[in-house]
Amino acid sequence: MIQISDVLLSLTLLSVLLSLGSNRLMGLVKIMAFQGIVVSLIPFFIAHLNEMTIGGIFFLQIMIFTKGILIPGFMFMAVNRVKIQREIEPIIGYHASVFAGLIFILVSAFIADRLHISLPDEHVLLMITAITTLAAGLFLLMTRRKAITQVIGYLMMENGIYLIGTALAKETHTQYVVEFGVLLDLLVGIMVMGIVLHNINHAYDDVDTGLLGQLKD
Amino acid sequence: MLEFICLIPIFTGIFAMYLPVRMGRMILILTAFFHLQFVVLGWLGKIKPGLPDYFAATPEGLLILLVTSFIFLLISIYAVSYMRESEIQSEPIYIGCTLFFLASMSMVALADHLIVLWIAVEATTLVSAPLIFLHRSKAALEATWKYVLICSVGIALALLGCFFIVMSMNIGSTHIPLTFSSLTAAAAKLDPVWLKAGFIFTVIGYGTKMGLAPMHTWLPDAHSEAPSPASALLSGALLNCAFLGVYRTHKILYASGLGDYSSNLLIGFGLVSMFVAAIFIYNQSGYKRMLAYSSIENMGIIAFGVGIGGLATYGAMLHLIHHSLIKSSLFLSAGNILLGYGSKLANKTGNMAKMLPKTFTAFFAGFVGISGFPPFGIFVSELLIIMGAFQQGRYISISVFIFALIFIFAGASRLVMNMSFGKCDSEILVDENLARVLPSYTLLLTSIILCIWLPDSIYQTIIDVISTIGGSVNG
Repeated sequence: MIQISDVLLSLTLLSVLLSLGSNRLMGLVKIMAFQGIVVSLIPFFIAHLNEMTIGGIFFLQIMIFTKGILIPGFMFMAVNRVKIQREIEPIIGYHASVFAGLIFILVSAFIADRLHISLPDEHVLLMITAITTLAAGLFLLMTRRKAITQVIGYLMMENGIYLIGTALAKETHTQYVVEFGVLLDLLVGIMVMGIVLHNINHAYDDVDTGLLGQLKD
Repeated sequence: MLEFICLIPIFTGIFAMYLPVRMGRMILILTAFFHLQFVVLGWLGKIKPGLPDYFAATPEGLLILLVTSFIFLLISIYAVSYMRESEIQSEPIYIGCTLFFLASMSMVALADHLIVLWIAVEATTLVSAPLIFLHRSKAALEATWKYVLICSVGIALALLGCFFIVMSMNIGSTHIPLTFSSLTAAAAKLDPVWLKAGFIFTVIGYGTKMGLAPMHTWLPDAHSEAPSPASALLSGALLNCAFLGVYRTHKILYASGLGDYSSNLLIGFGLVSMFVAAIFIYNQSGYKRMLAYSSIENMGIIAFGVGIGGLATYGAMLHLIHHSLIKSSLFLSAGNILLGYGSKLANKTGNMAKMLPKTFTAFFAGFVGISGFPPFGIFVSELLIIMGAFQQGRYISISVFIFALIFIFAGASRLVMNMSFGKCDSEILVDENLARVLPSYTLLLTSIILCIWLPDSIYQTIIDVISTIGGSVNG
């Protein structure tokens, strides 16, 4: 029998690799919308249905709405507004990035294996996906120059944190902790707002943080 | 209702955003004044928390809350005069956001729940970002972008740290509320491996906000580009609040017998911060950036002192108080200098002793204080930390510590001497006035007074704070 949760996890991994290799901003935003929906569905299929509380289901809907619709919608607006199509000259190239993504999967498999002692069995795959997503997000954040791509990297990192929380949250469903990760989306929203409203576009010809390089020692 | 301390600034802040600027200024000072009143009432134990599951009046929280509230009052008196001179169009935003900022920092100080603390720290980032962007220049935009992005990553990692701490609780199969006080009480039952992992992520997360190297990169930019009253608040109040997050987690680790591990991490981060600050101060050309790096250094000293334990923790707590007082005074003087000369570069300023004598007195006295000379409190606190480290036999760390202090003094004094007595051809754009020097004098004077006479209740509170992490005044 195919586990739906495993399918979702592999879809997440796929979206991570796709986002590392893509240079079209519009494509990136679409991938992030897809990843957001998949990631927020995972806890629903991991938890046993009768364990889901009403609050849990409510939070699930909020998660799908913010991660899948609200934030990507915002980003869609931002990309349209600043009229840039491609991420040019990343600090590390696309092929190298995808390769790095593959290495992340290996390393996370290793880490998840080491954590094996203290994790329930079915969560190992989840842990691998989570750490990969987190690492790839940080990687994207550090190796891309455009402000919007950095925000996308941050969003991906946040998805990874949400997944780690889900993996660890087996017994925490009595206390809402993981769900507060949704507040990080607030920060993402603010950053995108910053790009749209706060003249990053006006102050520069391009939303390129490479131009944000005046302040240094 | 202890929560009023957080709620009052929120409400007045919303009003101030929509009222005319003149009334907004009144509201700012009045709120600061009433906030201080409430904090003193809370300090005396007259008001109890309404939601004891989430908020508590812990000694460390009260200590930092009192410092924050006190410097906020003086900074807002200064800010009113500063804003009038620098003609910022978006002044209502400044007033509203500083009030929200005060509210979120009070929430950090009073929070007892892991997640409430985390939310409050996130809120400080959100509401202080507009303060940094106030001048709307290219450089301000860059500083704000760095600040929001880097601090957001830090906050995300701190959340991960919270997950790990919850995990350690689950594995130890303890079912207690997720508050710092109950976690500390039940620390022995927590799983040590996950707790250690949680501490690492918490230190990296909140340490980013606190300005510990190597996560400090946002700090010099944000502090130098923000308008001076906001820089004073960031340096004097926000960094302490972020330190609270680190400190409270350290307390849990100490209670569960992992004190050595977390202490060594704190000592490491502290020394690296001091070292980085020393390198960057030595060849610094901007005086506000110099002050910002000095904040990194002082946060390093506090982390170092807490890590060493024993007598040094007492020194670290004193250092925290005096650093806030002196550094915010220095930033306020820097604001006067910026208004006077119109430049943040030290070589565009000069002969301050003649041209801005009142500001010069405050700035130079502040410099003497921050470098650790008597009669200011940092002299005592640094001496106590050094003595504490010798008692613990940490000779290598203490030699790095002393070396960094000397190096920083050498770099900073060159800059300050040039600014004070060097040549300058330019004219003063905006003259100094009493409203903009009195707050600095008051802050410095408070530091001297606290050095000579520490009120018993403050002394007792510091003892309560440090006794939970194994500190004592007797070594």
